[in-house]
Amino acid sequence: MEIKIENVSMTYPSGKQALKELNLDLGSPSLIGLLGPNGAGKSTLMKLLSAALMPASGSIYVDGHPLSKMERTLKAQLGYLPQDFGLFDELTVTQFLDYMAALKGLRRPKNAIREVIRQVNLEEKAKARIRTLSGGQRQRVGIAQAMLGNPSFLIFDEPTVGLDPEERIHFRNLFSHAAQERLVLLSTHIIEDVQSVCDQIVVIHQGSILFSGTPAQMIQAAEGHVGVFWEQEAAWEEGLHITARVNTSQGIRCRAVAKELPSFVQPEEPSLEDAYLYLISGEVAQ
Amino acid sequence: MKNLRLFSLELRRLFQSPLALSIIFFTMVSPLAGLIFYKPADADTMLTAYLANPSIAGGAAGGILFGILTVFELDRASRSRTDVLLDAAVSSQSMAAIRLLSLTAAALMTAAAAMAVWFPITRGQIGTVFDGTDYLLSYLLFMGLSLPLGALAGASAYQFTQRADLALVLFAAFAGLSLTVWSDNWQLCWLNPCVWALSDDFSNFRIFRSVAYMRLTWLAALAGLWTLSWMCVRQYGKGIFGSFLRSARRIYRPVIALALLLCSGTAYAAQPLVDHSNPDETVFTFGELEYLEGVVCTGRTAQVFPNLTDGTVTGLASYQFQNTSGQAQKAAFAVTPGYRISSVQINGEEAPFVLGDYQEYNEAMLEVELPAEEAAEVTVEYGGFPQENRNSSAMQGGREISEEYLCLENASLAPRLMNVLPDEKLYPAVIEITLPDSMTVIPFGTGEAEIVSEQEDGTSTWRYEDNGTGGILYAGDYIREDIEAGGITVEFYYGRKHQEVMEEAGAAEAVKAVIDYCTEHYGTLSFGAGGRLKLIESRVVGGGYATEGASLLDEADFTAANLEDGGKGAAAGEVMIHELVHQWWGLGNMFDSSDETSSWSAEGLTVYTTYRIVKELYGEEYAREYYTDQWKQAVDDYYLNFYVRNPEYLDKLPEEKRLEISNSLSYVRQYCEMPLKILKAEELAGGEEAMDEILQKLFNRELDPAYPYLTYEDFLDACGLTEEELNLDENI
Repeated sequence: MEIKIENVSMTYPSGKQALKELNLDLGSPSLIGLLGPNGAGKSTLMKLLSAALMPASGSIYVDGHPLSKMERTLKAQLGYLPQDFGLFDELTVTQFLDYMAALKGLRRPKNAIREVIRQVNLEEKAKARIRTLSGGQRQRVGIAQAMLGNPSFLIFDEPTVGLDPEERIHFRNLFSHAAQERLVLLSTHIIEDVQSVCDQIVVIHQGSILFSGTPAQMIQAAEGHVGVFWEQEAAWEEGLHITARVNTSQGIRCRAVAKELPSFVQPEEPSLEDAYLYLISGEVAQ
Repeated sequence: MKNLRLFSLELRRLFQSPLALSIIFFTMVSPLAGLIFYKPADADTMLTAYLANPSIAGGAAGGILFGILTVFELDRASRSRTDVLLDAAVSSQSMAAIRLLSLTAAALMTAAAAMAVWFPITRGQIGTVFDGTDYLLSYLLFMGLSLPLGALAGASAYQFTQRADLALVLFAAFAGLSLTVWSDNWQLCWLNPCVWALSDDFSNFRIFRSVAYMRLTWLAALAGLWTLSWMCVRQYGKGIFGSFLRSARRIYRPVIALALLLCSGTAYAAQPLVDHSNPDETVFTFGELEYLEGVVCTGRTAQVFPNLTDGTVTGLASYQFQNTSGQAQKAAFAVTPGYRISSVQINGEEAPFVLGDYQEYNEAMLEVELPAEEAAEVTVEYGGFPQENRNSSAMQGGREISEEYLCLENASLAPRLMNVLPDEKLYPAVIEITLPDSMTVIPFGTGEAEIVSEQEDGTSTWRYEDNGTGGILYAGDYIREDIEAGGITVEFYYGRKHQEVMEEAGAAEAVKAVIDYCTEHYGTLSFGAGGRLKLIESRVVGGGYATEGASLLDEADFTAANLEDGGKGAAAGEVMIHELVHQWWGLGNMFDSSDETSSWSAEGLTVYTTYRIVKELYGEEYAREYYTDQWKQAVDDYYLNFYVRNPEYLDKLPEEKRLEISNSLSYVRQYCEMPLKILKAEELAGGEEAMDEILQKLFNRELDPAYPYLTYEDFLDACGLTEEELNLDENI
């Protein structure tokens, strides 16, 4: 699946402009991490891609066709896990997935339901009413419904919220596996998740794309802009964006990003998180 | 296929929702309200009490409950944030349509379940006059269709507002209008249809037609409204207008919505069931028409062909005129609204005619110009669906035409002459009517109908002769019993469905006993003619009436419930006697309309006479035990009643409770206190024979045309007593 976003802007009825002249190409197979601070426009972009919203201007093309004419086709191939969603509490997990399978138009969905229940480790809760599930289990039902029917385009908005570390790793691997033959868009605040599985990263800030490329390219862009220093040796901290402060027996060890590193800062290899913070902090400073 | 599966899953989900299950349960038990406190239909038949009221109550409650359920169900997805998942797979409009379909299906399934659950209960309560068709149609029309209407209204309110609280307010206002302001408007009361009675013995298709018409009109209106609201279902983050405009791009959507609204509006404006009679009933222009000079009607004939399947009538009526004026003159005929005149011929030639739009007292005026020739025969071909008077549109059902019953009165039988006097023979008329073999034709009056031909299609043509401009004809599945009593032959007609009840109550014996007794003691009925009297049990009409040779008995007098009314008699046969005694005490202008604060009414003399007949039939001891002792006990209790001793507290009660208590007190005054007073008057006047003489004189008194009613003062004067002398002691 190929998705092309051309000059897309989105303004809400309240007047808030969520996206500005956005241009982006997405193609499968790929697992794309969508990063950005709260209110950057990530969820708006995902709603546009799931046809829940229509852009105020610009166009979105799916496999070369305008999304407005491909809505049904897109929805038939889409698996979507929104950030904030609810489930029908009175149904069992299997009944809910059966319901979602019907919405997606799946025929003979029993095997597909069994498969996604296995993928999200909910076999024991397959016949349990949803109202009896914990927060993490509900999140897993959400992931299961998105993956139901092997959709060719998956959108996950904060999918690992509420999951314990072990589960997070399980699902990261699941997304990675899914992305071998699909287009997967993963929005998260957890940089570690993106670093572990994404082959491409898009950073959005204040409705615009700050960066689009591979994790390595993003890290490379931050090289020479990340360093460490002892707080007591620091002549000043202006222009430095402290990303970590660690208390040690020798004093406080700080990690910082800056457009230009002062002499008392010793350069270090940047991590993806450093690179992301470098991008965002630069934009904030501007 | 996808939508079908989704519909079945949505329905399954609905049946797992605790709220939906509660509403289904309460809807199913809601007919109980019609048995206990919500009784919009007030006739005294068994079907009214045990079928009409429960099914109307079930419809009203179910409609409201399903409207509320719909609002909550449509709001649930957005309340629980499930909508974001669903919208990603299917458009919100598709989901709205599927949800409505599943709610409608649940509503219909609930109505069907209620119908099944209440079937044995209703059957047991109604007894021998239970009718499966009436049951099915009542639950379908009075209850069943109300539920989807409630769902449509609730869904429309929610889809427009997209807020549960606002939608509930709108829906409550809409339901409230039906239950209050619109409750007497048969076309607008979408929740609680205007039904005042269902007949036990005869069919009820006319009132079912009326309710079905109202339901379908609202179904089209609410479907149109729902389609408009559906176009407003929010999508793509747009508001109400943005969503509507985007949805309206597919032009067939607004077209369908408008077509449905237009259909409903047309159905409302052009309804075929009720006429457009002048609502000002003080106006009587048709009655003030001047008779034509030099023109008389020497006779008329009519051939009438009711269509019992669709409730219509076609006919051919001929009128013979003598015109000695030497000039052309316009004859006016009254025609039942709903009938069309397909042709008018004068002496075999097509003639022009005008059927006026103005209607009054359920009649329209047909004008035909009579030629200047001395003899003219006017033949009118007419036909159509006889409409009922809009001024009593909340009490439809009287124009019943079916295989079980029909009543054609005056202009609905054949056009009625309005401005031509008869010659000395009083409009001699020969009427022929063709009906299925199972039906018996009963002209209301002295005429005797006879079969003149039997057709191979299972119909027979009846003929009878009559006098008058109009005439009333009853036909139905009647049983006829000829009873010799009081020196006359009584033709007693009652519905076949009532045969068991009538036989158990000893109706024929009661008729004989009453007529023998009352004729001997008070005199013959003035409307008995030629040694014959027809006593005809009519479909429920809210009272009886009489003419020369015939008297009508309302079927409500003979219901199992009425025959068990201890105030009227100790056994069913005695209640039967009571109702027949009303032929002497209670018909026509014998008593003014009853004043609930007074104990003087038709009931006092009727109960007293019933007691006298029972005393003669079963002995003094029986009459004392079951009549006078009962009256005394009831009156003793009456004077001990808290509200009788402290009437000021009665006014402080809620209206409904106050009416219930005052009606019960009024009942004791009329059915027990007054008979005791008459009994006391009998003692003071010199005994039974003296009282019989007094009553005979009162029955045969000369009437004052200005106020022909028999008053308590008339009675006291005739007895030579004062009101105080008849006061009962506290301890009788």
